[in-house]
Parts: sequence; structure tokens; C-alpha cells
Amino acid sequence: MVKIKKTGLNEFIELLMKDYDVYSPADVGKKTAFKKINSAFEIRHDITNTHLSPKDVFFPQSEVLFQYSDDGLKVPQRNEKPIAVWGMRNCDTSSLMMLNKVFGDAHQMPGKDMYKDPYWKMKYDNCLIFNQACNEPLSTCFCNWFDGNPFAEKGADVFVVDTGDHFILEGVSDKGNAFLAKYKSGEEATKADLDKIAELKKTAESYLPDVIDIKPLFAKMNKIWDEPIWEEISTKCINCGACTFVCSTCHCFDVTDEGKGKKGKRIRLWDSCMFQIFTREASGHNPRGLSTQRVRQRIMHKYNYFMDNYEQHLCTGCGRCVQVCPVNLDIREVIKQVLDYKLSKNEDN
Amino acid sequence: MCNCENTYIPIPMKVEKILIENPDRSLRTYDLSFVNEEDRKKFTYMPGQFCEFSILGKGESPFGIASSPTEEGIIKFTVSRTGSVTNEIHYLQEGDIVGIRGPMGNWYPLEKLKGQDVVIVGGGFAFTTLRSMIVFMLENRDDYGKITVIYGARHPDLFIFKEELKEWDKRDDIILHLTVDKPVKGWNKLCGFVPAITKDVKPDPTSWCIVCGPPIMIKFTLPVLLEIGFAHEKIYTSLERRMKCGIGKCGRCGIGSKYICIDGPVFSYEELKKIPDAF
Ligand SMILES: Cc1cc2nc3c(=O)[nH]c(=O)nc-3n(C[C@H](O)[C@H](O)[C@H](O)COP(=O)(O)OP(=O)(O)OC[C@H]3O[C@@H](n4cnc5c(N)ncnc54)[C@H](O)[C@@H]3O)c2cc1C
Ligand code: SF4
Ligand code: SF4
Ligand code: FES
Repeated sequence: MVKIKKTGLNEFIELLMKDYDVYSPADVGKKTAFKKINSAFEIRHDITNTHLSPKDVFFPQSEVLFQYSDDGLKVPQRNEKPIAVWGMRNCDTSSLMMLNKVFGDAHQMPGKDMYKDPYWKMKYDNCLIFNQACNEPLSTCFCNWFDGNPFAEKGADVFVVDTGDHFILEGVSDKGNAFLAKYKSGEEATKADLDKIAELKKTAESYLPDVIDIKPLFAKMNKIWDEPIWEEISTKCINCGACTFVCSTCHCFDVTDEGKGKKGKRIRLWDSCMFQIFTREASGHNPRGLSTQRVRQRIMHKYNYFMDNYEQHLCTGCGRCVQVCPVNLDIREVIKQVLDYKLSKNEDN
Repeated sequence: MCNCENTYIPIPMKVEKILIENPDRSLRTYDLSFVNEEDRKKFTYMPGQFCEFSILGKGESPFGIASSPTEEGIIKFTVSRTGSVTNEIHYLQEGDIVGIRGPMGNWYPLEKLKGQDVVIVGGGFAFTTLRSMIVFMLENRDDYGKITVIYGARHPDLFIFKEELKEWDKRDDIILHLTVDKPVKGWNKLCGFVPAITKDVKPDPTSWCIVCGPPIMIKFTLPVLLEIGFAHEKIYTSLERRMKCGIGKCGRCGIGSKYICIDGPVFSYEELKKIPDAF
């Protein structure tokens, strides 16, 4: 374990910046997001979850796929350093592992390289994740519904706990240990530090909501596709799409060309299944023309379709969508509503 | 950049030939050839697959491949003019360079069809991948049993591949039933909607059936096939949804837990009936 005095963090971050492009929670306008930093002083240590999720680091809101001109196509390269992210939370780290199923693993067609996304892989594949424990989960957090925990290390390279005056860093992966070995802090974590960590963990867990059993959710959702419950759930949604933009696991995108004449670029941009035009076809036909159909798509994708493909939910319980929704459509309530729902049809159907 | 293939980069293709398929010029067939020999060698496909056709500055649209793998060196698409990208495709001239990404998606179950009788039911310009399939089967004629084709269009002008249809009509190893929606002067073949004609033709239900056409046609033809007694796992169709990436990432073409671009576009009725929003 490595113990770093908070006032000396910049030294550590500078060392990190020698090998990596470093991202961390920081101010972006009036919001907080993961941003490339140049010194430890930019890091926002005082917040739990950033407004915008860290998916932007690996799957940016807009990304150039290639530039075109008379000279042909030019694909952006990353000759920079690999990426390190400081201040990730357990839910953030889990969300990247979920997105990696979509962009990196190409699970659906094993062995087929064409289904791997090179733009994701060039950023994610050799990144270094510092996963920081949440001492004070927010009222919107519900990671414990999805096997998450504010002090979980899963998926991290280095696990970080803020003990007040210090950060205690523990290597989790080989990559994480290799980097920590480069740093000489002079201070060792003591028994008192470990006791403190255990105490912080207990306090943090007390902030979380009661765990509800979401195992039956998948099977229940298989039965409610054409039930009136979707009307009930979706009535107040105004299809603004804010939930999908802040969501750390939503990955829908659009591809579009920007430029004039023969010179320009093809870019991809976050898109949202909440928008009516998302699925509207040239003929005018729209398989998800109704708000109810789109809300159902979002909820079903998270808790049923993704489960069907990857045996896990596409939600970490980060609560960002709960924070941002202008009409207070709370996804936790939706989950409960589905679980409690009495089918209008006979169960055996 | 990782050393995996970058599927977002279009393969450069040259427009070799453009055929205007109908008098109102809304349907055109494009024969494309590979600009680079390496691309040609790498590009192997099967009937039923599709590509993203790319016009730099305008974007991309998915189209079924209308050529058969047996027609080497040429990739064929028939494009109906409906919106921004298809408009731009219609402005192309022979000799122009365009891009395609693919081949994408799965294909018709040609392995399972070996030694079997095959019924093909098509409507409108969705006949593209069915052409691919028919040409492929005719090239490998001994591998398949009886081949029956039911093909409908609103008006005689709206059939595509008219020259080939004439040739097939002369052959005795393929049975062709062409139909138009309403009687038209000079048209001496069948008249009526595809579902009704299918009912009349009453294909042998032990055969395999591929249905491809506008959603409405598929919707009304399926019950007819089921009534005749076709097994659910022997009926196949190809679905369309709006697409972007074509590789299961952008989320646009999802139906239930499947993505049409990678799990389809070809599905058996057996699979489709389990997907809630397939039709
Ligand atoms: C697997 C598959 C095979 C197809 N095969 C053919 C074919 O052989 N011949 C043919 O003429 N058409 C085919 N289509 C339909 C064709 O892709 C659309 O008509 C075309 O994309 C319309 O594009 P647009 O830019 O002209 O229209 P716009 O309305 O301007 O659409 C803008 C964009 O939306 C998307 N889009 C709109 N409608 C559709 C649609 N129906 N399907 C998919 N994407 C859409 C495209 O990305 C398009 O560029 C096929 C579609 C799919 C999914
Ligand atoms: S659905 Fe809501 S709680 Fe779940 S990962 Fe997305 S933003 Fe977080
Ligand atoms: S943020 Fe709320 S209102 Fe907006 S699309 Fe999401 S659920 Fe609907
Ligand atoms: S077209 Fe992007 S997921 Fe199918």
C-alpha cells in the first residue's frame, strides 16, 4: 500500500503524467465531468459522482472517425500516451466494463475482428484506472442493487481511499502495482489507517438504500412487453433524452458527415433512443414512433435485452439519470413498479 | 490504434455500370468494382448480406447486395430514391468512386437448403438479395431441388432485373410467377397481391420458403404460408430497420435483444415469433 499526503498529491500526479494522459473529475463550465488535467489542483475531490459520466473519456460525445479530402482518408491516431483516470467510482469502473462488452469484446460474434471498435480500444485497452472509494454516497446512489459497493475494487488497477489527510493507494492489477512501484512516498499505511478504512466503509454502506432483490426483474420483463404498465411509466417522460446523455452505460450513437464539398470529416455523436427520429425510416415508417415505445426500449435494454446478451444489467445504479430528469422519472421507482406489477394476462401465457 | 480491423473505413469502389430500372427513374442498379485488388480478395460474402453504401459528405445507407458471390469482381446494389443519401447515389455517374462497408449481417440458410425444394416470395424492390440468392442457386443448380419464385410489383414497370426475369421465365429449372397489383393493359401474367397469389400457387409445404418485401406484404404472406402448412423453422425473411454502424454498436437497429445488423437481417419465423417488436 502507498500512503500519500493530500498536500503532496501533485507530485504523484506529475509522475503519473510522465507515462499517461491523466483524466479526473474537474469543473467543466457549471458542471463536473472527467477532464484531462495538467495538475492535481484541478481535481475535484469533494464530489462523489460527476454530473457527466466518464464514458466521455473513452467514447466522447463527438469523435472523428476519419477526415476526407482529395488526398484520401485520414484516420486519427493516438500517438499520445495511454490514458489514466483518477477519481473513478466503483459504478464508473463497472460501466466501462459493460461498455467494453459492446465496443471491445465483440461478444456476439466471437473471433470476428470487424465487430471490435478500434476507437474505443485505442483508449481503453491499456488505460490505468484509479478507483476511489465513496465515503459519502449520494441519495441517488443505488449501486448495491447491482452487486456494486462504494468500496469495491472490481475492475480497478489501483484502489484509492481518502482517509482525511491522506490517500491510501492499493495496487489491484499487475499494471497498477507496476506503476505504484515507481513512487516512493516515504510513508507506510498503518494499522490505524486500515481501521479507518473499515470504519469509512461501514459508514458509506449506511448511506445506501435497502437492497431489493432484482433477480426476478429479467423474467418479469419477459412477460410485460405488451402490458399497459409502459403507459403508466412513460406518461410523464418528455423524451428530452437527458437521462441517456448522462448515463454511464448508454452507448447509442449517430454517424454523420460534416464539411463542404470534398473536404470534411465523418464523426460519430451520442444519440438517444428517446428521440423520435432515432428510428424513423425514409418511408416515414417508425417502429418506435410513440414515447411509450421509446421509454420501454430504454428500460428493457437496461434490464432485459442486455441481460439476455451478456448476463448482466446495463445499469450500475450510479443515479445520474435520477439526478438529471426534469420530471423526476426515477428509474428506481420504475424497477419497483415492474417488480410489483400484477400481470393483466394469465401467468401461463 | 489497435491492430484490429477498422470497420468504419469504407472500401473504395468504382461505379462500372448504372442501369435505370424503370421509366420514372426512381430505381437504379449499380455495378461496382473494387479499386484495390486486395480489397477484392478479402471481400467474401453470401446472398442475403448487406453493405453500408458511403458517399463522403452525405453519409451512409444500408443496401442488400443484389449480386451473387458467383459473379466475381462486381458488387451490385439496386437503390430506390427516397431521401438524402439515396438522392446523392442517384446523381452518381459511371466512373465515379464511392465507398462501401461490409459485407454485414448474416445470410440466407443456403447450407440448410441443399437438396431441398425452395420457394421464393418477393415484393417490390426488396427483390435485391433474392436475386443474389436465385443467381447463386442457378449457378449451383444441382445442389437444390425445385425452385419456385413468386414476385409481385405494383405495376409492371416496377419490377427490377427485368431482362433476367425474362431469361428465367424461359428456363425449365425455375418456375416463375410474376404478379402485379391491378390489371394493366399489355400485362398477360398474374394479377393480384402477393399473399393471394401465394395462396393460389399453394407451394409444397415440405419446401423451404424465403419471403422478402415490404413489411405489409410479409405480414400478410406469413399467415398464408402457415395455413398451407410450412414449418415455422423453414420460413425465412429479411428485416429492415434504420441503421448506422452496421456492427451492433450504435443501438439503432435493435429489436428485442437482437440487432438486425449483426444477428440478422435474415431471421427464421421460428426466431421472429419470440421477438416482441419484430413486425
Ligand atoms: C438491411 C437493409 C437492406 C436494404 N436494402 C435496400 C435495397 O436493396 N435497396 C433500397 O433501395 N433500399 C434498401 N434499404 C433501405 C435503405 O437503406 C433506405 O431507403 C435508405 O437508407 C434511405 O436513405 P436516405 O438517406 O435516402 O433517406 P433519409 O430519409 O434522408 O435517411 C437518412 C438516414 O437514415 C437512415 N435510414 C433511413 N431510412 C432507412 C431505412 N429504411 N433503412 C435503413 N436506414 C435508413 C440512413 O442511414 C439514411 O442515410 C435497406 C435497408 C436495410 C436496413
Ligand atoms: S440508467 Fe441511470 S442509474 Fe443506471 S447507469 Fe444509467 S444513469 Fe446510472
Ligand atoms: S431525463 Fe426524464 S424526461 Fe428526459 S428522457 Fe429521460 S426519463 Fe424522459
Ligand atoms: S446499425 Fe448500429 S447497431 Fe445495428
